[in-house]
Amino acid sequence: MKNFYRKVAFGLGPEDKTPSDPLKWATNQLNDIPEFSWKGKILPEKELRKYYRDYVYGDRKVLRKKFKNDKDGYKREKNKLRHTTGQKFWWNLELCIRHSEAIKSETPVLAKLWYFWGNHFAISEKDFLAQYTTGAYQREIIRANMNQNFEKMVQEATVGWSMIHHLDNDQNIGPKSQEAQWAREKGKKKGVNENHARELLELHTVSPDCGYTQEDIIQMAYIMSGWRPKWGKKRLETGDVHFNPDAHEPGTKIVLGKKYKGGRKSLSTVITDLVNHPSCRKYIAMKLCRYLITDNPSKEMMEPIIKAWEKSDGFLPEVHKAAIEVAFNYSDKHNKFQNPENWLLQMSKMSDVDLIPTPKLMDLYNLGQKPTNGQRSSEHLLRELGHHPYLAKQPNGWSDISDDWMSPELLIRRLVYAKEAYYKKSGKSQTPEFYEEMVQKNYDNPNEILQILNQHKELVHKHVILFNLPETLKS
Amino acid sequence: MKISRRNFLKGSATTLFLAGFNFPVLANTDKKKNLVVIMLRGGMDGLCAVPIIGDKNFEKRRKDLILDKTIKLNSDFALHPKLKNFYNLWQNNLGAIVHATNIPYTKRSHFDGQNLMETGGHIPYSIKTGWLGRGMKLAKLKGDGLALALPMPLLLRGIPSNDNFYPSKKRLPRTELLQLLKSVYTDKSEHDLANMMEIIANRSMMNNGGTSMSRKNSSLAYKAGLELKKINGPRVAVFEVDGFDTHAAQGGVNGSHSDSLIEMDSIFKSLEKGLGSEIENTLVLTLTEFGRTIKQNGGRGTEHGYGSAIFMAGGLLKKSQVYTDWPGLKRKELFEGRDLNSTVDARSVYASAMSSVFDIDFKRIQKEVFWGDELINLSDKLFKS
Repeated sequence: MKNFYRKVAFGLGPEDKTPSDPLKWATNQLNDIPEFSWKGKILPEKELRKYYRDYVYGDRKVLRKKFKNDKDGYKREKNKLRHTTGQKFWWNLELCIRHSEAIKSETPVLAKLWYFWGNHFAISEKDFLAQYTTGAYQREIIRANMNQNFEKMVQEATVGWSMIHHLDNDQNIGPKSQEAQWAREKGKKKGVNENHARELLELHTVSPDCGYTQEDIIQMAYIMSGWRPKWGKKRLETGDVHFNPDAHEPGTKIVLGKKYKGGRKSLSTVITDLVNHPSCRKYIAMKLCRYLITDNPSKEMMEPIIKAWEKSDGFLPEVHKAAIEVAFNYSDKHNKFQNPENWLLQMSKMSDVDLIPTPKLMDLYNLGQKPTNGQRSSEHLLRELGHHPYLAKQPNGWSDISDDWMSPELLIRRLVYAKEAYYKKSGKSQTPEFYEEMVQKNYDNPNEILQILNQHKELVHKHVILFNLPETLKS
Repeated sequence: MKISRRNFLKGSATTLFLAGFNFPVLANTDKKKNLVVIMLRGGMDGLCAVPIIGDKNFEKRRKDLILDKTIKLNSDFALHPKLKNFYNLWQNNLGAIVHATNIPYTKRSHFDGQNLMETGGHIPYSIKTGWLGRGMKLAKLKGDGLALALPMPLLLRGIPSNDNFYPSKKRLPRTELLQLLKSVYTDKSEHDLANMMEIIANRSMMNNGGTSMSRKNSSLAYKAGLELKKINGPRVAVFEVDGFDTHAAQGGVNGSHSDSLIEMDSIFKSLEKGLGSEIENTLVLTLTEFGRTIKQNGGRGTEHGYGSAIFMAGGLLKKSQVYTDWPGLKRKELFEGRDLNSTVDARSVYASAMSSVFDIDFKRIQKEVFWGDELINLSDKLFKS
């Protein structure tokens, strides 16, 4: 049962008392969205997007022209531009905010589910989104909606600037729209880009299980045509997202057998229908179970989550509570392989590793500077572990399947960074007593584990072994 | 142009005819043959790497990007002057090129294109395995893949137990500790973990006398060459080279595109060094998402294009050649009026390569790896049987 603390959160830290009612302890964390526990600076997405704009504008419109014959000059000035726009700093700051929620907040269960949703509505590696805006998107659109209906999260994520840019909806133009007409007059061709429409169906809502066809995807793309950032000579593609009727495909569309009138409102109407489709709740329930419990969730696991969804109309706190309760009920039967980031946070929390740079250190940063190694440590570490949450390779995010994390090099990284982490611990947690207490508190088979650890004398070796035991890798 | 389209078509008809007979390709199974794929990310400019000689359309559109002192390969094509190692291979019949080729992807997103170059599919993100992984599965090469990268590339997905190597800057814990973990994994029936730990504990690549190892491709390629050379070592290796997306200052011989080409060239050299005589039983291929526009842009760079080229190296090549059905560079011959066209589906090259190296009938690869897509068997044109 103690693995429940690690399964739905990151284990119990040295200051945490063992809860008298573990299930209540977990579900009580899911009603509200508290303020961030990070005490340093937090920038709004809009402001970060401006830095993104300064970078792309400066590179594309200024430097490329100015240094067209000077490769080295171009490289040098581009590097300067990276620093004047904070390119190597912001995502580190975002990771501090993110990781504080796991380690220092009162709501680690909420944090673990936040990471789930961030990955569900993944902004994968594209352009410089990760460096500037992905973290903020996950704060303002994903986390902020975790006490709302799922529908609201979908509505906002879908027309969020990050998602629209990430999935190319800015290039999705109705073939019968005014803009396509103008293009034809100039001898050019413009048409739909199905990317975003496909992912909205496949990854974000109903999943292929619901049986949509390629025609549904095209019709969906027609509905989405015209949603894009306001273009400007200076702001380029970084303007706020709006609906531009000139690029919208006119006329009625049919998605999954239902008709939708043309125009701005059709997108939100079709989203309402998608989130209420039975395939959607089934798919989300499956994904929650897969994230928390096992690679192959059973019907019985998914059932209570689907029920909670139906009863509450997809109200996320209720859906989350149901998922956590299922995880609780199965915590003795199934252990879930933890992805590298969750593993790292678990280790840091339980064994008191000083993982997160302090707000003071981060707030020392000034634009134009190259961030110090200390300020860049989070980003570096996640990259070395092979799991940077803002750099998923594809729009389906990082995998929840154990096999995808099983490779010699990825396991080597856990070995060597477990060792590194040990040296970031405070002296008072570098005692055998500390480990004994931690193991008692967090594992169901403490005696067996302590027996294994005792085969090695040095504490650092005990530490490396503990965090690479199957009991820790799988929670 | 001296290459005639008709000759080419005649050649491919013969190939199709022969393929119909289903010859057993299992000619020589006793020697270990290796396949290496180098992914060139960002869109490799085939016209910069292997420029056409004496084409006015080309020279006119790329005034500032024309290279000096290129190396003449044949009467039609030259080689980028910095690709010295590749030229060495070429001179020994160990280097060849397929030109005007690409995967069947005609839009211009890196994002989608790189996904498709790895899956070999048509719709971005719809396939979750790589063509190489599927080919290895067909050839039953479980545990024979080695990626020189940290995340397992999509290209190798589709068969379990691949190895990967991308040296950590930190040292591994001591061997007793690894052995202890391995025995715990075994006791607890965690077979996958035990299996991984076995690879880690026995990995000769990690031993470098305690000094930290370089992640440079040239150094990784040397290590990989040594592994591929071993009779019980991996049979497939995958590399990645970034930085081909040169929208600006692509430049001439010392431009930014050259930097990435030089990195690719260093892989050829180090692989050869590591492999020693086993280069004879090895085939190296490059893979990219698309080529680049013929016309230079305002920043003396190039934009995302379509047709590119494939570099090939190793003793399993039939001979040194630039294999192409050259589409021409006149405006109407260009793809969408701007790009070198692709006249050979790059997947035909990859399918033929897997057929030759893995000793599997081409038709089976075509059917089971590439869904029966219309691909041409180029094995007898490009590779030794």
